[in-house]
Amino acid sequence: MSAPTVPPENLDELAGEYVLGTLSGARRQEVNARLPHDAALRAAVDRWEARLLPLTSLTEPVEPSPGLWLRIAKTLDRQHAARQAGQPARPGWWDSLFFWRGAAASGLAAALVLAGTLALRPAQTPGPVQYMVVLVAPQSQTPGWVVQASAGQREVQLVPIAAMQVPADRALEFWTKADGWAGPVSLGLIKPGEPVRIALDKLPPLEANQLFELTLEPPNGSPTGKPTGPIQFIGRAVKVM
Amino acid sequence: MPNRPVPDFDYEAALEQCAAGRRSALEALYRHEGPRLLGVAQRIVRDRARAEDIVHDAFVNIWNRAGSFDATRGSARGWLYSVARNLALNAVRDSRHETAVDDDTAAVLDARDAIDAWHDTRDAFDWRDSAGRIGPCLEQLEPVRRNCVLHAYVDGLSHSEIAQRLGAPLGTVKAWIKRSLKALKECLA
Repeated sequence: MSAPTVPPENLDELAGEYVLGTLSGARRQEVNARLPHDAALRAAVDRWEARLLPLTSLTEPVEPSPGLWLRIAKTLDRQHAARQAGQPARPGWWDSLFFWRGAAASGLAAALVLAGTLALRPAQTPGPVQYMVVLVAPQSQTPGWVVQASAGQREVQLVPIAAMQVPADRALEFWTKADGWAGPVSLGLIKPGEPVRIALDKLPPLEANQLFELTLEPPNGSPTGKPTGPIQFIGRAVKVM
Repeated sequence: MPNRPVPDFDYEAALEQCAAGRRSALEALYRHEGPRLLGVAQRIVRDRARAEDIVHDAFVNIWNRAGSFDATRGSARGWLYSVARNLALNAVRDSRHETAVDDDTAAVLDARDAIDAWHDTRDAFDWRDSAGRIGPCLEQLEPVRRNCVLHAYVDGLSHSEIAQRLGAPLGTVKAWIKRSLKALKECLA
């Protein structure tokens, strides 16, 4: 007789080691992926968080750099500008759990409409912004990058809006795929935290709903020409105005 | 200065205000808890700049997800720490290499190491400073097992890093941690 479900004992062990921090990177990611739709695991994790929280008191506080709050505030300002410009009728949708639940349920975070007045658009960009994509982390739904394309320009700009870490032996590769394409096409390797302009001259013009994503790949990029590593950020293009 | 919660700060109300879009509430949380969260993150990622990146991302997350905080699932203060620790642990687990020693290999490693470590009764942490009911429960653990748990939670060390630190076989460390968690759970029940 075999039990189809994970015994509660193992679930609790898994949750305990997850909160303690001793799971391997791969198992950690598994748990991160399971948590949103596994209530029993979530409850076990919550209990372990509460049990072990007092151990945070063993760490000495460290005074943050004077500029850290400003950095946080700037990131929030950019989000806010995006929200204001794109969706004035629905304040707070960015923070809405239902919005993100829906986005997660659809398997992809929805692309977000941003207007050309966005604070992070460099002043010298010619012409109005034609397409916008906000790339968000698949699990936390935290926005990490914005892709902008201007009308008449055969290039896109990729602009970081949050800090991110890439393992020393991995590189960040940028991909795009429009609805009718057979598979994603590489737009090259990206340095975390640095804005970059990428020529699209070998590709068809950008279209609405076109997918953009950043994946972790070997240092010289995917060996197969298709994404092989985990998706770090993902979003779809939305036509602006 | 031990990193204890300050009782007169209303974390839950601050999160509610964040969910309502009041930036000043996030700033109050940051001023109040930022240094402690940075301390926790820096201990795990062991780099000041990376730790500040973690705290940056944590506060952006806290702002964006404040509306989804559910007080029936745990304390508001605990939620802040789980957001920050989770980001820090994800960062180090993605980038630190796990030593590829499997349990079987570890089992045949010199058992003397395990015995030496077992007899090592020195404490690596001033764990008696830890708040709440966990103190007496930690006291019930052998010092070496207590060190395993604290190296993992506080320092963010992986199984193999703890094994290296203590000079104990990997399989032994895994077993110690598993049993210690069980003992802590029973003690705190």
